[in-house]
Amino acid sequence: MRKYLFTLLFLSKSVMFATDSGLGSKIPDIKLKLLDGSKVSIHELVEDGPLMIDFWATWCKPCKKVMKYLDQYHQDYADQGFKVLMINQDTPRSLSKVKSYIRSQNHQFFVGLDPNQKIAQKLNGMVMPTLILIDKGGEIKWRHQGFIPGEEIEIEKQIKLILESQASES
Amino acid sequence: MKKYILCLTIFSVLVANDIDFNAGLTANYGDSYDFYSYSENRLDLNFFYNDLQGWIQYEYSNPPDVGFPINDIRKFRIEYTLDDFTIKFGDIYEFWGRGLVLNQFDDQITNYDNGTRGLFIGYSNGPLSSSHLNGNSNVWLFGSDLRKPYYNNSHNMSGNQIQYEWKSLSLGLTQIQSNEVHQKLFGDDAYVNHKMKGIYGSWLATNIDLFIEYVDKVSTEKTDFFQEIAHDSLKKGHGIYGNLNFYLGSWGLSTEYKRYAFDKSHTDFTADDYGNRIELQMMPTLGKEQNSTLLGRVSHNYNFNDERGVQLELNGSLFNRFTVSAQYSHLSRNNNWKSLSQFDWVEQPLESFLPSSNPSALPYWENYEEISGFILSDNLYFKLGHGSNQEVFKTMRYFDGTQISTIFTESWVKDTTDLYGYIFIDSTMTIDTSFSDPFEVVAKMWQVAKSFTIPMELNYTFDNGYNLGVGFQYQERTKKDISKGNAIDYSNPDSSWILINPENSDSSFETHDTKFSLNGDKVNTQYNRMIYVTLSKAPRWSFTITQDWANAFDGPTTVDPYYNPLEALIFGDLKYFTGGRNKVDPPDFIQKKWVSAELAYNLTSSQRISIMYGSIQGGLFCSNGVCRLIAPFNDGIKFSYSAIF
Repeated sequence: MRKYLFTLLFLSKSVMFATDSGLGSKIPDIKLKLLDGSKVSIHELVEDGPLMIDFWATWCKPCKKVMKYLDQYHQDYADQGFKVLMINQDTPRSLSKVKSYIRSQNHQFFVGLDPNQKIAQKLNGMVMPTLILIDKGGEIKWRHQGFIPGEEIEIEKQIKLILESQASES
Repeated sequence: MKKYILCLTIFSVLVANDIDFNAGLTANYGDSYDFYSYSENRLDLNFFYNDLQGWIQYEYSNPPDVGFPINDIRKFRIEYTLDDFTIKFGDIYEFWGRGLVLNQFDDQITNYDNGTRGLFIGYSNGPLSSSHLNGNSNVWLFGSDLRKPYYNNSHNMSGNQIQYEWKSLSLGLTQIQSNEVHQKLFGDDAYVNHKMKGIYGSWLATNIDLFIEYVDKVSTEKTDFFQEIAHDSLKKGHGIYGNLNFYLGSWGLSTEYKRYAFDKSHTDFTADDYGNRIELQMMPTLGKEQNSTLLGRVSHNYNFNDERGVQLELNGSLFNRFTVSAQYSHLSRNNNWKSLSQFDWVEQPLESFLPSSNPSALPYWENYEEISGFILSDNLYFKLGHGSNQEVFKTMRYFDGTQISTIFTESWVKDTTDLYGYIFIDSTMTIDTSFSDPFEVVAKMWQVAKSFTIPMELNYTFDNGYNLGVGFQYQERTKKDISKGNAIDYSNPDSSWILINPENSDSSFETHDTKFSLNGDKVNTQYNRMIYVTLSKAPRWSFTITQDWANAFDGPTTVDPYYNPLEALIFGDLKYFTGGRNKVDPPDFIQKKWVSAELAYNLTSSQRISIMYGSIQGGLFCSNGVCRLIAPFNDGIKFSYSAIF
């Protein structure tokens, strides 16, 4: 009985607590290696505009579905400084196929490597796909877990909102 | 005490203005009619304050899905970065090269956690980086219980890595030494020292990239723990991994080679085979990472101690619309084996660097092809795949050679003896021993499994936000013992193989004995089918019904003794609802089927709940090269909640 009470308490507390209270907090300046061998930090990527981070792996079905749209947004809003950073979580078991897959799709977004989930653990991206939208100042503005086809509309809406907000501030 | 630290940390993080934080919550609850119940809750909290970072994972699980009950801080880490230096204290997970020396992760599904609790010091300045790691790792491995680990191997380890990058080239050196307390199946724990030295290098160009890693390993054992005498040399081994990729336009070809030789055996390794590869080493497997349930169940159980292989994978795009992928891999042990008798096996090293196809080397073949893409104005997503594999699980006998029979010839000689005038007539027997001409003896028996699987998926998105998905997976599988040759048994007194027809060595046989059965009757082919239908409405909810079906089992037949309304609804059994059905004596048509329904709902964009009701067939599940047999979940309910904030 005690465990059920604890679970109930835990959940009710978390639901109250989890009303997007972490939004607005600043993302840490994590350095990561990109697929082309270069290194970049998240703060460098948000210098020109907002950044969408997504965690994915080559064997993750919903990840591949959302990638198509994210790459499109990366190209469509590039002139406003918007970028997409896809952080790959393939382990050594399938790490060798990441570049091959990205090239086959002709994706233009940035692809970072996180083979033992160090970055995913710091940003709570252990569930794939997890999307994190960050503004130019490095503040987290939106988070989303999972992908149901049709949610790309909501994703684009959030990107437009942050770009409009950025335009009005400048 | 730890709970007070946790509460204080959470409170400090929440009230402090200049601390940034994020957190993740997961709660999973499950209960089935056959006592498969669990309740697990985890809170991950990360906080960032200037150059300081922290992570705490608190878990209350009683019991968890897999593992031990816990109500405590499970993991923690403090990181401090000052200029070019990074210091970490707590639970550390590092990854060097491609993992031949060190690859640490915490996989909750397979309950594999090979992280180190200790100290990490890192330095990075331009092209040069180095790190030092020191601490303790406690790795739990499963025994016969599918949910609670049994074997514990603890490592007091230290390691160093240095890497230099110059333009598109990089070179790294690694070293690890570990003192292991190894829990055995029989007898006391073993105290083993492991020393590893590794080197890796990579080269990245526009259309080619290359990676190579080599590790050399030596282990010694302290056989007399109290007397502190010198360690006995135990095992020596090495591992090689190479990856060469080619790119042309939207096509990429990935080629890989591995040879892991830390131990050798013609059978599986057990907890009593120690001194070989340690749990900190998690290297590439050279197999396809599958995301289809049925293909996942026929995954190869990779052998990191004694296995070599090649893998090729082609990825490309057709008409800039469809994604095409084709993969092939061939693995085997590093030696062919010959059974001189039933228990006396000798290895025969392979002549080339490639894997063997000889059944005594336990070969494994796998290939997978897939095409996927969007059509009908990008509203319809489709995926069609084909996977097949063949694996020799074990060899019971494997002799192919010549043998000489001993021939005994009896002869009787008439003898007459004159004794004091009496004549005695007698006879004496003489036995002549001779040897036959050499003749061929073949005595082979091995177990092999073959399968082919077709996974397909269709997903249509309507303009009003609704989405309908249908998935179907079909699999045919055989698993059998193959015996062939002219001998089936070995005579220890005679030290020779016994021919099935001692008069004629040319008499041979071949039998195939299937391992699948149903209610005691043998079944040659196992057919597995899985169908699932998903209806969803973005961005709020999705509802999925899944049915899994098998016609035979490898081992005892699983009987489903309980019948639930979901199954009655799916199979249109009106008697169930009109009271005409005995609910604890289900009809035949419900047996060998597992039906489940799941509703997932997004409370907000970062909070999700899901409820599942029904049955899930257990089976093999592999992740990160670690495989776990998942226990069946029968007629139960699962609830899960996850949130990030």
